Amino acid sequence: MGELSYFTSRFLKEAFKRPFEFKELLKQCYNMGNRSLLLVGITGFIIGLVLTLQTRPTLTEFGAVSWMPSMVGISIVREIGPIITALVCAGRIGSGIGAELGSMRVTEQIDAMEVSGTNPFKYLVVTRVLAVTLMLPLLVILGDAIALFGSYLVEHVKGNVSFMLFFNQVFDSLEFGDIVPATVKSFFFGLAIGIVGCFKGYYCKKGTAGVGKAANSAVVFTSLLLFVIDFIAVFVTDIFYDL
Amino acid sequence: MKHSNAQKLRLGTFVIISTIIFIIAVYLIGQRQNMFNKTFTISAYFQNVNGLQKGNNVRYSGIDIGTVKDITMINDSTIKVDMNIQEKIIAHIKKNGIATIGSDGLVGNMIVNIVPGKGHSEMISNGDVIESYSKIGADDILSTLSVSSENAAILTADLLKITNAMTEGKGTLGVLLNDTIMAKELRQSVTNLKTASYGATKSITDLNDIIYSLKTNDNTVLGMLINDSISGKKLKSIVNNLESSSVEIEKAVGNINTIVDDFNSSEGAFNYIVKDSSLVNNLKSTLKNINEGTDKFNQNMEALKHNFLTRGYFRKLERQEKKEANNKKD
Repeated sequence: MGELSYFTSRFLKEAFKRPFEFKELLKQCYNMGNRSLLLVGITGFIIGLVLTLQTRPTLTEFGAVSWMPSMVGISIVREIGPIITALVCAGRIGSGIGAELGSMRVTEQIDAMEVSGTNPFKYLVVTRVLAVTLMLPLLVILGDAIALFGSYLVEHVKGNVSFMLFFNQVFDSLEFGDIVPATVKSFFFGLAIGIVGCFKGYYCKKGTAGVGKAANSAVVFTSLLLFVIDFIAVFVTDIFYDL
Repeated sequence: MKHSNAQKLRLGTFVIISTIIFIIAVYLIGQRQNMFNKTFTISAYFQNVNGLQKGNNVRYSGIDIGTVKDITMINDSTIKVDMNIQEKIIAHIKKNGIATIGSDGLVGNMIVNIVPGKGHSEMISNGDVIESYSKIGADDILSTLSVSSENAAILTADLLKITNAMTEGKGTLGVLLNDTIMAKELRQSVTNLKTASYGATKSITDLNDIIYSLKTNDNTVLGMLINDSISGKKLKSIVNNLESSSVEIEKAVGNINTIVDDFNSSEGAFNYIVKDSSLVNNLKSTLKNINEGTDKFNQNMEALKHNFLTRGYFRKLERQEKKEANNKKD
């Protein structure tokens, strides 16, 4: 934990120090953002469909099926969208970073960079962590939108609800207390994925087994950390927004 | 290089689309909370806000027109609710509007409903205070329900007693339920009633036919009276004449009565003739004497015809009569 805290503070120091590795940052943004789009989109769409299909019979039983858009909107924007997207990204990006940096450490590429005078932390860690921190909120927004569209499709087919009515009800039920904390939370999710992935890879033990272990522990630890951050975020939101 | 540029383009597109979606979402949420509209503030005082919160909707005649801006406790029984209202609605809300706190559906959020007041009033302006009306809260409803349920329990207990008594055959209703003879008689009565109703129905049908034929057939007196307006007018005039005649007849009868009374009461000749029985006897004897007198007179006349002094005169009269008779024949 102590090492991770030190690693995080070092990232924060290095992130605002010149020179900035913009090219590498953009490359990482593309790798982490655009290449995760399909995965996040499919996951979000299925989550929207399944959530609506599962909830619909219960709401119908209570005669509250007209509350479906509000319920789905709040649950996706507040919680399900950010956490599912973050978990998917933890699996894809976190493990990727852990494995990539781990193999670089094992093959002594990081040591070589240090010897050649390049700051490997700035080039490898800061760019990756920044990229995932910036990309995850955008992925969450797109994931939310696709999940809501999936929910709308079910409502349209089952309940003949129009597009306008569905999204009117969704935005009627949403408040800034839902969308702002969810977006802020997503930044922290991204930061956690990046920091843990980089930390596990950067300090990978020698040997090929270490790479696999680094990738695996990056995903496991990130997933756990995501729920901890989520709990803290909800707790803080509850204080400020009085949910 | 080309590969890098395509990547940048894709990345840019992704970032822009995500940002636009986020901005649209923020705008739509903000618009619903009147963050981008010009608003004005009005207030209302309530005794109980029933869980109303900042940000809850304000509705005017069922349309969302604003949100609750602030809720302040003024004293132990007064709560001030400030509301942000869209400026474009200002023309429609009058100063006599009434604010009530209600619920958006059975389990929905609390809302402030503003309903238009009765009569004409001035347009509302920024900072105005409108009247409020506290609806019955859920607690009041529950307490009323509690009293109702107690009453219902008493009623059901009484009902149970009644039904027990009825099943045991006590009281009129019990006898009605348990007495089989009465049931048979009732059944018979119902059968009779049924028969009577059939008969009544038939009679009514016949009566309807008769009435219909009377209405439609102008040849009958009633049909003519009903359908012929000219005959109706005539009949009306006849009735009027009859009415006036009856008045005249009544007058005449009155006069006759008066005359008769006068006759009866006075001592005139008529009264004497009518009432005096001795006069009748006298008259009878007189008439008898007259008859006898005329017989004797006839005998005298016959004697005169044969007397030589007057015989010539009578023959002359006979000749004249014969002559007139011959003239008539010619």
